[in-house]
Amino acid sequence: MGRQGTQALKTLLSVQGLRIRLPTAAGLVTVVDGIDYEVEAGQVFGIAGESGSGKTISVLALLGLLPDGAHVEGRAMFDGRDLLQLNRRSMRDVRGVEIAMVFQDPMTSLHPMMTIERQLTEHVRYHLGVSESKARERAVELLREVRIPDPAGALAAYPHQFSGGMRQRIAIAIALACRPRVLIADEPTTALDVTVQAGILHLLDSLRSQSGLSVLMITHDLGVMSSIADWLTVMYAGRVVESGRTGDVLGHPRHPYTAGLLAALPHPEAAEDTALRSIPGAPPSPQSRPDGCPFHPRCPYVQDSCRRDVPALASIDAGRRLACPIDPLAVAV
Amino acid sequence: MSLLELRDVEVEYRRAGRAPVRAVAGASLAVEAGQVVGLVGETGCGKSTLARAAVGLQATTAGSVWFEGRRLLPLRRRARSRRDARLQMVFQNPFSSLNPRRRVGQQIADAMGILGLVPAGRRSARVAELLDQVGLPAIAAQRFPHQYSGGQRQRIAIARALAAEPSVIVLDEPLSSLDASAQAQVANLLKGLARELHVGLLLISHDLAIVRHIADVVAVMYLGLVVETAPTRRLWRSPMHPYTEALIEAIPRADGSGWLPEALPGEVPDPAQPPAGCRFHPRCPYAFDRCRTESPPLIDVAQGRGVACWLHSPGAEEKSPSVFATRTRAASAVGDQVDGV
Repeated sequence: MGRQGTQALKTLLSVQGLRIRLPTAAGLVTVVDGIDYEVEAGQVFGIAGESGSGKTISVLALLGLLPDGAHVEGRAMFDGRDLLQLNRRSMRDVRGVEIAMVFQDPMTSLHPMMTIERQLTEHVRYHLGVSESKARERAVELLREVRIPDPAGALAAYPHQFSGGMRQRIAIAIALACRPRVLIADEPTTALDVTVQAGILHLLDSLRSQSGLSVLMITHDLGVMSSIADWLTVMYAGRVVESGRTGDVLGHPRHPYTAGLLAALPHPEAAEDTALRSIPGAPPSPQSRPDGCPFHPRCPYVQDSCRRDVPALASIDAGRRLACPIDPLAVAV
Repeated sequence: MSLLELRDVEVEYRRAGRAPVRAVAGASLAVEAGQVVGLVGETGCGKSTLARAAVGLQATTAGSVWFEGRRLLPLRRRARSRRDARLQMVFQNPFSSLNPRRRVGQQIADAMGILGLVPAGRRSARVAELLDQVGLPAIAAQRFPHQYSGGQRQRIAIARALAAEPSVIVLDEPLSSLDASAQAQVANLLKGLARELHVGLLLISHDLAIVRHIADVVAVMYLGLVVETAPTRRLWRSPMHPYTEALIEAIPRADGSGWLPEALPGEVPDPAQPPAGCRFHPRCPYAFDRCRTESPPLIDVAQGRGVACWLHSPGAEEKSPSVFATRTRAASAVGDQVDGV
């Protein structure tokens, strides 16, 4: 496994104070409310959270893929440039080239009526200006890299001729075609069966360790995070509630939300017949987020101050940050 | 006799100009009162087809379905008999299974009127009672489905099924569209309902980990066949079929250990052209000659346990293949076969 490599780690992408407001019928609604994180080269950086927590919107902003009328504040520094300030033209040279993306559902992210060859070579020829035969060679190489059997034969096929897992491998191959430095993967295994999911996780893990690719992984599945992410950020209602090394965050969750989410999961090694402990209530919608800490209505440790003050994300340990001043789960040493 | 019983059910989908697909190739299952039976398998294994056959939404090609001691006939144009209405179904997606334009209370009360279970004057009280049973406030009756989250909508769909006073409910992936915390809430609710109301539940799911917390008995399906059945605890402790073992090994663990789950090599084959012999043999790490030619029957190995695998014989000890069998190839050999090209 390629964790904690020996080479000096370099910050590749640094997001600071990202705040996103989207237009709705009721006016602008704050969907992402000031988040910070840093992605280092050759690492898998995970953003976890339930539906509506703002995790997907926060990465779409990096690629300039937000709907018209969206208000974005903050900075996203990548290679000396602020991604949030790029104009359309410069963004086109980043998106799909230096930062590529893989989506949840390979059924809809691949074009059903184009051959795999066309989908794998079109952008390579445009961005890298290579010849048709060179692009084709590269396509075969990519399919081999993502372990598609018979890569040359696969080029002439259409997406429907592949299973879900194979389609997701092809989507990853397309994303990798221009040799990006960052791959954003939004729930890349959620639509897949567990045995197929495990194959994709192995693939992402080897891409990271062999080619030094950074992966920004978004998923609600903490099991998937545990197996592949080096760093983990947990989002709730548009804010980061906790972040740190994955082993630390999942091994010793400090935020009551992270702890609650872990307790709600079926754990393969838990005693049988243990009822799953669910978090009472449901996450708030962006239109009706509560005052103070967004988690306070569901938090078992709530105090008066939680209803009033929005907790800041503070450093508590090396690389570990927590947005809960009460810190009820701190381990007494 | 069990409340709901499927005997050697086969379902074949005919396709114009192409070979028919035998989605279910002979599966047997039984659900008792108050029991939760989990039916687990991956995409394309035929579990949803079997669920639809179990409630009569899909005609069987062979075999039979028995409900409360009588043969259940597939649903046709005519209304289903009142007795058969005691067999209810809950669907995967509560966003499409509820009518967006009718109030929650009206939708729940429908069954009471149609089946004549509750006089009109008492229906709203009964609706409130059902909502309470699934953990929603009585005021929900006045609202519309869009005012609720996915987990709450799934509770409404369950309340609607309960309104028909069923003895068995078939649930097709009721948890898979929900977030983790909502999933836990609905899972606990289902388990509670089976215990308190003595309703039998047939729970279809691709997620063995969640099924383990709810089901008393689990049946594992692969490519149209049930390959293993066992009480949940014993299945989890010592999965006897190599496929069950692979399914358990593939579940990621949210413990922060960095352990990468095992991938099962290969792909689920096309059900229109299943492999000869054991249907799992091309992906099985323990396959030997007999597996390539002869299909193993589902045999009773121990009390309450059945497995369809040549590694086991009747009365065999409850042991997982990894404990006693030799792998005839590395676990990930097939998946990585192009590595060496």
